[in-house]
Amino acid sequence: MFRSDFIPHKIYLEEASQDYPLTEKILKKLGQIPCEIIRSPQSLLETLQNSRDAIGEGKKFIFLTRQKGEFVKPCPCTPHHISCHYIIINLDLNCPLDCTYCLLQHYLSNPLLTIHVNHQDLWEQLDIFFEKNKHRKIRIGTGELGDSLALDHLTENSRDLISYFRLRKNAVFELKTKTMNIQNILDLEPAENIVISWSLNSSQMAREEEKGAAPVERRIESARVIVKKGFPVGFHFDPLIRYPGWEDGYAQVVKKLLRTVPPSRIRWISLGSLRFSPLLKPIIQLRFPQTKIIYDELVPGKDGKLRYFRPLRLELYQKMIDFIQREEGENIPLYLCMETEEIWRETLKKTKGKGIF
Amino acid sequence: MERKVIALDQIDLNDERFRTSYFFSLDHLILSIKKIGLLHPPLVVFRNSHFLLVSGWRRVFACLELSLSPLEVLALEQKDDLRVFLVAFFENLATREFNLVEKAEVLSRLKKFGVNETEIQKHYFPLLGIPPSPFHLDVFLALADFDFSLKKAIHEKSMTFPTVRLLGEFRPKERMLVLPLLLSTGQNKREEILESLLEISRKNDVTIKEILDDTKIQETLNSQKLSSLQKAERIRLALREKRFPCIFSWQESFERSLKKMHWPEEISLKPSAFFEEDALSLTFHFKNEKEFQARVGKLQKLASQSDFSRILKKPSDV
Repeated sequence: MFRSDFIPHKIYLEEASQDYPLTEKILKKLGQIPCEIIRSPQSLLETLQNSRDAIGEGKKFIFLTRQKGEFVKPCPCTPHHISCHYIIINLDLNCPLDCTYCLLQHYLSNPLLTIHVNHQDLWEQLDIFFEKNKHRKIRIGTGELGDSLALDHLTENSRDLISYFRLRKNAVFELKTKTMNIQNILDLEPAENIVISWSLNSSQMAREEEKGAAPVERRIESARVIVKKGFPVGFHFDPLIRYPGWEDGYAQVVKKLLRTVPPSRIRWISLGSLRFSPLLKPIIQLRFPQTKIIYDELVPGKDGKLRYFRPLRLELYQKMIDFIQREEGENIPLYLCMETEEIWRETLKKTKGKGIF
Repeated sequence: MERKVIALDQIDLNDERFRTSYFFSLDHLILSIKKIGLLHPPLVVFRNSHFLLVSGWRRVFACLELSLSPLEVLALEQKDDLRVFLVAFFENLATREFNLVEKAEVLSRLKKFGVNETEIQKHYFPLLGIPPSPFHLDVFLALADFDFSLKKAIHEKSMTFPTVRLLGEFRPKERMLVLPLLLSTGQNKREEILESLLEISRKNDVTIKEILDDTKIQETLNSQKLSSLQKAERIRLALREKRFPCIFSWQESFERSLKKMHWPEEISLKPSAFFEEDALSLTFHFKNEKEFQARVGKLQKLASQSDFSRILKKPSDV
């Protein structure tokens, strides 16, 4: 199981979130799963915090609630690094996958798989956002605070989002995943401004550090199916991780990708190297004691996050760009995620993320 | 509770089931007993033909030193060991702060006497000033199992919780191997040494012993000329080099280039933190125009040397 058919152990339903169509839909799909109606998740969260692995435990439960804040926000990127001006939709929080390096482990205070059911508010907020930005080209997507498709068999979010965004011609909408959960999308008519994208890694890193995610070969195969359906696709080699044999590992996956998916249908490939807040390190040590990825030469950057020492990052990016170009991917737009001006200049020979799309 | 007068040898001091403090000085207490006598009787409980000491270990050891026997004690009439232990615990809690090792002993005893982990976290962590998390419980329970000499060092050197946490990740024999490296350093450097050792071991699949058997480290450890502080510092740097070889070699190459150019001491030239940016920073002080001109003149000469370009080398130039 690659969590595409994820079923929770239990559903916690916020009392005030009962009368929403999405709540009904999920409860109907999970009819056999116990459901408890709660006023607030506070005591549940306290119980989880007392367990040895609150983050792992939280992934067993779904919490249906309302988004009380804003659904639509500019991606905060990271201070002193080049931004790609992405807009994020905070639809679901957290993810049933369990990647070693996942920043959500320390970023979110709530470890429950949280589904926001008040979609009417989302559409209203999006309408206002697009009214304000009707003359701007917008790149927008879910998948920042959770995998875009990991819960799609329960929420069917992809159907509603694609239907909404296909009419927004100044927007490029992205669903980003590490799963093969594309069934709902395959039922829909394609649109050129809807990009389905996959986070990729080398097969070894995916196997060792991306617990619950689909094997890389299956992700690429899903992308092939999506392209065949008519949608454009995107790929994120993020995080690139150094390990003995990484060059060969990444060369193989790039080769597999560009020989399976036609480069002309790839809207972008992003590259990002392993980076994380120092606060995440002890969490990774506790939750993934076997991992070695946090023991490379990582140094604090201007934003306080740990990244590979600059010459090592540079080598990662230069080799990846070379692998992509060697496989006839020279026309695919490339960009770097959360990188410095120096690294942009040394790799992509440009210094601005804005305007690549 | 009953007041009794018993001989010291009626107390079985080998049974330490209720004991949580080990490291104390008796000097002042002996002096006090000599001057004014023992004002507060120790607390005991009767088990299997002997009295066991519940609290008042310092007092009893002082009395032993002074051969003060018999002495007055307070005898508890309680069959349940947990309840007895709680009497000792609350008596101590009211009068003093527990150190890290004592907290570990308290938690380990509570667990041994049958209190479950949730109860320990809920009821006893707040009393001991410990954040309520299973992680903290694990670290303290590990500390309770440390070798006695290591616990003594932790107490005497006032080692911190992060240091104890790191020590808990070593195997028992490895802990004793690294102990000598920790005695002459400050908290931050102590943590750096431990962290480097653990991370090198995990990254390269080598044991702590194999890391410490390195020729450079052994030469440092066996040196007759170096003080223990100097040894610890050299070992810290040797470990840093092993842990971050690429960064170390960049820093060394930068410093070598400065040395080769005979870069003047009064002008400081520094790369950005971890060479992350291309910009370098230059600092010098001057008192008057003459000094300023002299520094600028030196800089102009340095900039015209062919080696100057080495200093400006970027990662992409390599």
